[in-house]
Amino acid sequence: MNNSDKIKDDNKSYWKSLKAYDNDPEVLKLKQNEFVDGVTDEFKSSQLPDISRRKFLALLSASAALTATACTDYRDKGEIVPYNKRPENVSPGTANFYASTCNGCSQACGIIVKTREGRPIKIDGNTDHPINKGKICAKGQASILNLYDPERLNNPTYNKRKIDWSDADSNIIDALNKSQTDGKQIAIVTGAIVSPTIKKVFDTFTAKYNNTKIYSYDLLNDAIRRDAWFECYGSNDYPSIKWNEPNIILALDSDFLGSEGNYIENMNLFTQKRETLSKLDFNRLYAAEGRMSVTGSLADYRLRIPPDQQYDFVMALTNELLKKGSAISINSQVQAKVQKFSLNKFERTVGKEKLTHLVEDLNANRGKSIIHAGDTLSKDVHIAVNLLNEILGNTQIYDYKKTFKTVLPGSTKGDFKQLIASMNNDGVGVVIHFDSNPVFTLAGDFGYTSALKKVETIVALTESENETSSVAHYTLPINNQLENWGDAYVRGGVYSLQQPVISPVFNTRQKEAVLLTWINGKTNSYSHNIYHNFLMDNFNTEIYPRKKPFSDQKTFWLSALHDGVVTLDENIQPSKEINTSALLNTNESLSNGFVLHLTNSYYLSDGKFANNGWLQELPHPITKVAWDNYAAVSPNTAKEISVENNDLVEVNINGRNLTLPALVQPGMSDKTINIELGYGRKVCGDVGKDVGSNSIKLISKDSSISPFIYSNASIKKSSGTHKLVTTQEHHSLDDTFVKDFHRIRNIIQEGTVNKYKNDSNFLHHEKHEVFSITNEHEYNGMKWAMAIDLNKCTNCSVCISSCNVENNIPVVGKPQVERGREMQWMRIDRYYSGTPDEPIVSNQPMLCQHCDNAPCENVCPVNATNHSPDGLNQMVYNRCVGTRYCSNNCPYKVRRYNFFDYRDEFADAYYENDLTALVNNPEVTVRSRGVMEKCTFCVQRIMEARSNAIRDGRELKGSDVVTACQQACPTNAIVFGNANDPESPVAKLRDLNLAYHVLEELNIKPNVTYIAKLRNTHSEEIA
Amino acid sequence: MSVVDYSQELSVVEGKPPLRSLDDLIAKPLEVKPDRKFYIALSVTLSMLGLFVIGLALTFWYGIGMWGNNNPVGWAFDIVNFVFWVGIGHAGTLISAILFLFRQKWRTGIARFAEGMTIFAVMTALLFPLIHVGRPWLDGWLLPYPNQHGVWTNFTSPLLWDVFAVSTYFAVSLIFWYVGLIPDFGSLRERATGKFKKIIYSTFSLGWRFSNRHWHHYEMVYLILAGFATPLVLSVHTIVSFDFAVSIIPGWHTTIFPPYFVAGAVFSGFAMVQNVLIAVRKIFNYEHIITVDTLEKMNKIMLVTGSMVGYAYAMEFFIAWYSGVQAETFTFFNRALGPYAWAYWIMVTCNVISPQLFWVKKIRRSVPVMFVIAIFVNVGMWFERFVIVVTSLSRDFLPSSWAYYTPTYVDFMILIGSFGFFFTWILLFTKALPVVSMAEVKAVVDGSQPSHEDH
Repeated sequence: MNNSDKIKDDNKSYWKSLKAYDNDPEVLKLKQNEFVDGVTDEFKSSQLPDISRRKFLALLSASAALTATACTDYRDKGEIVPYNKRPENVSPGTANFYASTCNGCSQACGIIVKTREGRPIKIDGNTDHPINKGKICAKGQASILNLYDPERLNNPTYNKRKIDWSDADSNIIDALNKSQTDGKQIAIVTGAIVSPTIKKVFDTFTAKYNNTKIYSYDLLNDAIRRDAWFECYGSNDYPSIKWNEPNIILALDSDFLGSEGNYIENMNLFTQKRETLSKLDFNRLYAAEGRMSVTGSLADYRLRIPPDQQYDFVMALTNELLKKGSAISINSQVQAKVQKFSLNKFERTVGKEKLTHLVEDLNANRGKSIIHAGDTLSKDVHIAVNLLNEILGNTQIYDYKKTFKTVLPGSTKGDFKQLIASMNNDGVGVVIHFDSNPVFTLAGDFGYTSALKKVETIVALTESENETSSVAHYTLPINNQLENWGDAYVRGGVYSLQQPVISPVFNTRQKEAVLLTWINGKTNSYSHNIYHNFLMDNFNTEIYPRKKPFSDQKTFWLSALHDGVVTLDENIQPSKEINTSALLNTNESLSNGFVLHLTNSYYLSDGKFANNGWLQELPHPITKVAWDNYAAVSPNTAKEISVENNDLVEVNINGRNLTLPALVQPGMSDKTINIELGYGRKVCGDVGKDVGSNSIKLISKDSSISPFIYSNASIKKSSGTHKLVTTQEHHSLDDTFVKDFHRIRNIIQEGTVNKYKNDSNFLHHEKHEVFSITNEHEYNGMKWAMAIDLNKCTNCSVCISSCNVENNIPVVGKPQVERGREMQWMRIDRYYSGTPDEPIVSNQPMLCQHCDNAPCENVCPVNATNHSPDGLNQMVYNRCVGTRYCSNNCPYKVRRYNFFDYRDEFADAYYENDLTALVNNPEVTVRSRGVMEKCTFCVQRIMEARSNAIRDGRELKGSDVVTACQQACPTNAIVFGNANDPESPVAKLRDLNLAYHVLEELNIKPNVTYIAKLRNTHSEEIA
Repeated sequence: MSVVDYSQELSVVEGKPPLRSLDDLIAKPLEVKPDRKFYIALSVTLSMLGLFVIGLALTFWYGIGMWGNNNPVGWAFDIVNFVFWVGIGHAGTLISAILFLFRQKWRTGIARFAEGMTIFAVMTALLFPLIHVGRPWLDGWLLPYPNQHGVWTNFTSPLLWDVFAVSTYFAVSLIFWYVGLIPDFGSLRERATGKFKKIIYSTFSLGWRFSNRHWHHYEMVYLILAGFATPLVLSVHTIVSFDFAVSIIPGWHTTIFPPYFVAGAVFSGFAMVQNVLIAVRKIFNYEHIITVDTLEKMNKIMLVTGSMVGYAYAMEFFIAWYSGVQAETFTFFNRALGPYAWAYWIMVTCNVISPQLFWVKKIRRSVPVMFVIAIFVNVGMWFERFVIVVTSLSRDFLPSSWAYYTPTYVDFMILIGSFGFFFTWILLFTKALPVVSMAEVKAVVDGSQPSHEDH
């Protein structure tokens, strides 16, 4: 039976209706012809609309696509491209760390650069570095922003027009050769050089173009100290100070804890004698100064002595102490000279008691004290100080192991005068500005700028446009320090290496490589590793043989790069006997009228950091002024010339004048004007342009005392005002209404060493028992807590700078700071007590206290801020609607609110560009406007430590987490850890008798413990 | 000025007008076309409202930074305005509910209008919590609702209590107001000539037929609602005061706040009602309905509440000193002598001194003088909130974080704009609904009720 038959049979056996059963013909017919006529017949393709099937499908898909796309609000936010070939050693989400050397100033601290997916995001100190020991300054921390500065130059220019590197190179090589054949000088003007390899490049350059002269100049330098040392001991290399040893320190206008020398190293050593946890062996700091420096603010006794009278003061002191004996023999001539000076002169301003204490202390601690003069003081003072230290037998405090070395001696005033004369006589063919800005930093009366006009070819090698490049013919963009190879030799036995951590972002070159190309004479000789090889060769010939390692050259090079530093054994050469007769040439100081003291700015250096918003916005450690410099005068002087804060004053010295706002600074000596340098850049990026006033204008090439001190200044009130903005409201010290609130409210609790020795519990006598009426939450596992030792806090603000970088804190700009909307999560509060003439300064780092009973938490209507089981006061940005109630209810006012979208608020969205966004730490959310934020105790670091602990299968320990501020703190004043672990340092500090909480009586149970500051005075009272 | 005999109960409506004339008079503004004056007034309030819209647009576009608020002073004009307007909203329900329960018949002439003002003032006030947040598009998160995040609101936050308190108050006030309007809607329906009007009034009158049964139910509902609204009058500002009292900031953390805030709210509410009613009775010729006697009674309430507020100010100082808490003591000295002393003394002058003039009967009954004093009271009460909010925040515990607050132009745009918002509603109200309760006024005209005197 075939298939069709079977179907027929089936048709018979199954029936659907009676008609079908009866085999009705109509049904049969239907069965035969399944497709009835009239259904398909009516279909005529010609009657269809003349749209093709293809077109119909096209339209259908197009409309579907349109509908789909129109309904999304997707905006193309650029591309995220995965690695198609993963670079070696880069795993997404994991940071890489590279050791390098900081180029921020001539101290060349060792740094560790943290990179994520190939981009540097944080700079910290290199713990292996023997000098800075894992710490760097606020400038170093913030300098990461310079890499991502949108105004970095990205192409060579000739007369402001873009040219190729090869054209620039060949033109300049021609100019160099022409200058050489014409017998004209080629001048290389550079900043301070600390790199032996750059020195070698210069030498090679000079060998090739032998008309070359190198001029090295830094606005801020140790030249005076070095000169004085040379006159006393015949050596250019002067020793560092073992700050951890002397019992008595007298700082003569020396800001060794704030801005001079390697202050990071200094404060670390200094605070080793401010340890409260172990035995109480405190040093005593006397500061004699006219301005109010950080060092002065930390002094146990502060003596107000104007900078032009420091010589008289140190001579009088010498006279007084010489009477009581001397460790060296002093000839009669010197003795006679010294005898002319008497301390009586200072009794009126300083007070007899302080002077007596000082003389007695120095006398009693011969060999265990040190007198240190500031960088800005005259050579005469330095010579007198050197002698006094000898008389007291303090030479063992000198650290010859860590001597300050000279790679390339700085040029003298005479050198520059010659250069300028030569320029004016048409004797200079080419001037190469080797990453220097002399048009801005050289004293105006040199006439450098006008002399430059006579020079045929002016070259500026610079990262971004500056005053010098604006008058240069060729502006050649150079690498940022993080794109550079390099080395440094600043201190005895310490050779450090610098390696790039990112390839050049722009079309820039390493400045040394540019010189090497010109030395070679062929433009095509440039390659990106030309200086890398040069450096390596130098290392192999100079360092490798000295160290004599067991490894081969390449391995040693790589291990040195890994460590960032090589320590070398050097012969320690203590100085010869002092040449006491150097003192005979020194002169008594004459003071008539006002004295002007120009000092280092704390964060801008000589203006090179002017375009760094993080640094401009970092408040001044004492005055808390941001975004400006000013003429600081004492309250009495302000009254005398009838000025108040913000009034414009005109400062005049021999016709050089400057108009700038005044600031009344308590504690300054009368008739003293203090102005910081480095402000008032005119050719600069948008951030630093016209911020503050250029006080370099007041410097003269013919200064008599020192370039920084002028005793014949005049000051008068000018018309108008200029608003200075501070992050802390100024309260008049003599306003009894609000006077000493920080003491009355126990915000600052202090004592003296003597008081503590007699009564270690003195802080807690007046305490009431605070109890809760409800059951409190218990913390049984981890409990994060911080302790801040106020004995060690020097107000250096590195913690703030580090926090800014770690936590993506935006720059808000001067107008917003004026409105009190700065975003820094950390601040250092500064309080004055005492009198306006003799204020006592107290500092207090203030950040979120992560209270157990946090008042911010219960008032948030949406639960955006809440508590973690391990004691963190958390902030959920995504949940925050921005009622600001939490901030209102925070008694410490440490919460920060995004009043605007601060990513684009500053200077017309200055920082909102593709480049600057790369500085952000990818582990920390970038906050939008309308959201509250605050210190998180670096929760991202806690989470990382926790996941590492889980990965390793071990318990998380408090010591696994180091917060950004703690890591950065040069004196280790900040301690973080698990309060529930009795062995942890933080728990021990919490139990210390000196421990207290701010606003304890509110029973909000803060978790930041402060260790009360002890002042080492002679009495039980704070001086 | 007539001599008033306080020993006799005064007639609420003067001159025994025919009941029909009252209907005509009250319904008149609804039945004639708005005149030029109305349009001029409306254009003024709409211009002010325009400022509000621009100010808000700037705020929403750029952020709260357009205002003067800064780091210690997180709340300023925004919350000052909020508390001010909530305070204004207090008179209405007090007049209609509490005075109703106390059988104060003089309330009938002013109750409807005061209630209307309550509604609009609370509407104005409610805007501020919504706009003062940094991300207003997320305002919905202030309401507890189940969501996929599993996140709930924080019931310990006074701000959340505010949300409940003010929205409840608004809802109850609105219902109370509407219930009171039902008989009038019935009357208006009967009077309406246009088809459109008729449909609207019919709808809102809910089938009111003036039947005895209806009246009976109506009176019961009104009584119950009055009972229901009475605690709310006290609770709303109590809870608003918790925003401050529950915090720990000196100057905020005070147990006197709840009664003090309620008294202040009634004080300012009456001042505002009195101000607006003086204009209304003049424009619509309601002098015999909203009589000087009524206004005088309002002035007496202002005198009482003003004195309570003055007492609170003094007591705050006493407690601050008596507590021995330095921060607390300082806050109050700082108010009187610190950088915001000017605001403090404006407040004291307007709130404590100016209402004391009402002890003098002549002043109490002089319409122009009382108008000026009530304006002073309004200004003073705005400054009271400013003093509480801003001075406390600007100088709290740590002197390092103190800062002075200065408002910006946007702050003023929003402040002026809030008045525009409020008065626009008031103007529309006078043209859309009877501003005096027709039913109630007719009931209190002399001789309208059966009396036993003649028998």
